[in-house]
Amino acid sequence: MLANLATTPFPRMANAKPKIVADKVRMSFGRVNAIEDVTCTIGEQEFVSIIGPSGCGKSTFLYLIAGFEKSSGGTISVNGTTVTRPGPDRGVVFQEFVLFPWRTVLRNITLGLEIQKVPRREAEERARKWIRLTGLSGFEDAYPATLSGGMKQRVAIARALTYEPEVLLLDEPFGALDVQTKNYMIRDLQNLWIEANKTIVMVTHSVEEAVLMADRVLVFGARPSSIVADVRIDLPHPRTVDDRRLREYQAEVTAVLSAEVDRSMSLERAHPA
Amino acid sequence: MTPDVAEGSALLKERVTFALFDRAARTVKFLLPIAALLLVWEGAVRAGLAESNILPAPSMVIARAIELLDVTNPAGGMLLTHIATSLYRALSAFAFAVLVAIPLGFLLGLSGTVYRWVSPVISLLLPLPAVAWTPILLVAFGQGDVTIITVCFLGAVFPVLYSTIQGVRSVSRQSVWVVRSMGANFGDIFVRVMLPATLPALMSGLKLGMAHAWRTLVAAEMLAALSSGLGYMIFAARSYMDVPTMFVGIVCLAVIGMLIEHFLFVPLENATTRKWEGAIHVGGRR
Ligand SMILES: Nc1ncnc2c1ncn2[C@@H]1O[C@H](COP(=O)(O)OP(=O)(O)OP(=O)(O)O)[C@@H](O)[C@H]1O
Ligand SMILES: [Mg+2]
Repeated sequence: MLANLATTPFPRMANAKPKIVADKVRMSFGRVNAIEDVTCTIGEQEFVSIIGPSGCGKSTFLYLIAGFEKSSGGTISVNGTTVTRPGPDRGVVFQEFVLFPWRTVLRNITLGLEIQKVPRREAEERARKWIRLTGLSGFEDAYPATLSGGMKQRVAIARALTYEPEVLLLDEPFGALDVQTKNYMIRDLQNLWIEANKTIVMVTHSVEEAVLMADRVLVFGARPSSIVADVRIDLPHPRTVDDRRLREYQAEVTAVLSAEVDRSMSLERAHPA
Repeated sequence: MTPDVAEGSALLKERVTFALFDRAARTVKFLLPIAALLLVWEGAVRAGLAESNILPAPSMVIARAIELLDVTNPAGGMLLTHIATSLYRALSAFAFAVLVAIPLGFLLGLSGTVYRWVSPVISLLLPLPAVAWTPILLVAFGQGDVTIITVCFLGAVFPVLYSTIQGVRSVSRQSVWVVRSMGANFGDIFVRVMLPATLPALMSGLKLGMAHAWRTLVAAEMLAALSSGLGYMIFAARSYMDVPTMFVGIVCLAVIGMLIEHFLFVPLENATTRKWEGAIHVGGRR
């Protein structure tokens, strides 16, 4: 069963129409070959999780979808159009938050709407909803320097959600949160996704998170990476952590991932960069 | 007035009083060591430990300062003119430097190729004391304001330029990506990211630039001033062995330098970078 999974490049396709299509994507930075060959299709309104060993090119793949960097080969298209540059249809939450220290929490969050020339009052109105949902109420006028890591991360999430992109690209969005806050955020993100017709691509290090939230889990292999497994999580939403079948999926993904992490570590040790 | 409001205003009053008290306390803390130094100095001169025609006592310096400030005195009374001339020269040189260095710094910082060509030249000019140019400028322009202001300009322009370039180059790719993914055009990127992100580096560049202009000024005035300026006053006083006047000049240079920092840059920082840095600086604020 596991071996079968790992060698099947395309298991069950999403029944929705394709939103993001990556075709033989390669990416190298000088002599570092980060992504070897990634081909996948992410359907409209699908929630896809990407998991893989550290340094295998997950962030890089998100940046390629976002249009920040040019791939060294292959193409990525969103809505049938080849990606050449970033655009407000794709919102990104960065692994490192990237807040603007000279803007208050509220102004960081309204930035997207400000750039899109939405009147200030309306922008604040829309931001407040996400400020409430991310538990940042009362911190609207604080500057990022005074926030904890977890709060910064929530500002970054609220900032991307407020201008309502169709596609959300999340790079380890819960990495700096405590379990409690994380659970709230996961629930809200799930609700948002169920309500708001978003396509979500989320990079994570936690198999539990991936399996709990996503329709599909893409496992990236060790660098130079490609997709080594594409696991469809065939369970209705919203899911609960204590579901037995969820734990089975978790074991399945963990097995593939551990093998890749082992391979990645032994490669690193044999040929240190 | 409801009790609540009364209580609130009492609280506010208390806070204002506290703020005033805090400020006074800080001023005293700042002045106390200086007062102590002056007392020791005065005592040492009076006790004959120091030669008063080389190291005049503070009281003698103050007496001379009063003479020099007296505008009705035809022989003296020039101090304010000297100060005004020096300030005019230093500030206009600084203003020119800022007007040239900031736009140029953005240009050089934003273009990788231009930066690679220009940065070695800047690294060479940055540590060069600007006063070294004075003789050349004297040959070109003769004595007077043009030479002095140009020398000060050369002293101020490189720190500001260098800091601007470093500030622009330190802006992370990701912060530009954030706004690009929101649909920002080049103008948005410049105004909302590049400019504010450069501000902290720029601010230290401005401070350094002004300090360099002020330092360079004294030497330039000693070499190139015709009739006024604090540097000129100090240098001219040597012909009469007028040491107290020299001290008046030195004290003026130190105090004015400090006041410029305090009244020009501290408010500027409070309105910008200091506000964002928030809690980090609470303990370290002067
Ligand atoms: N701008 C860059 N220049 C050079 N090398 C880069 C650059 N960006 C990424 N890399 C390299 O590409 C590889 C993949 O990086 P990436 O950040 O995508 O990994 P990741 O899967 O997100 O890792 P992590 O899980 O630790 O965040 C790494 O080896 C990294 O060193
Ligand atoms: Mg990453």
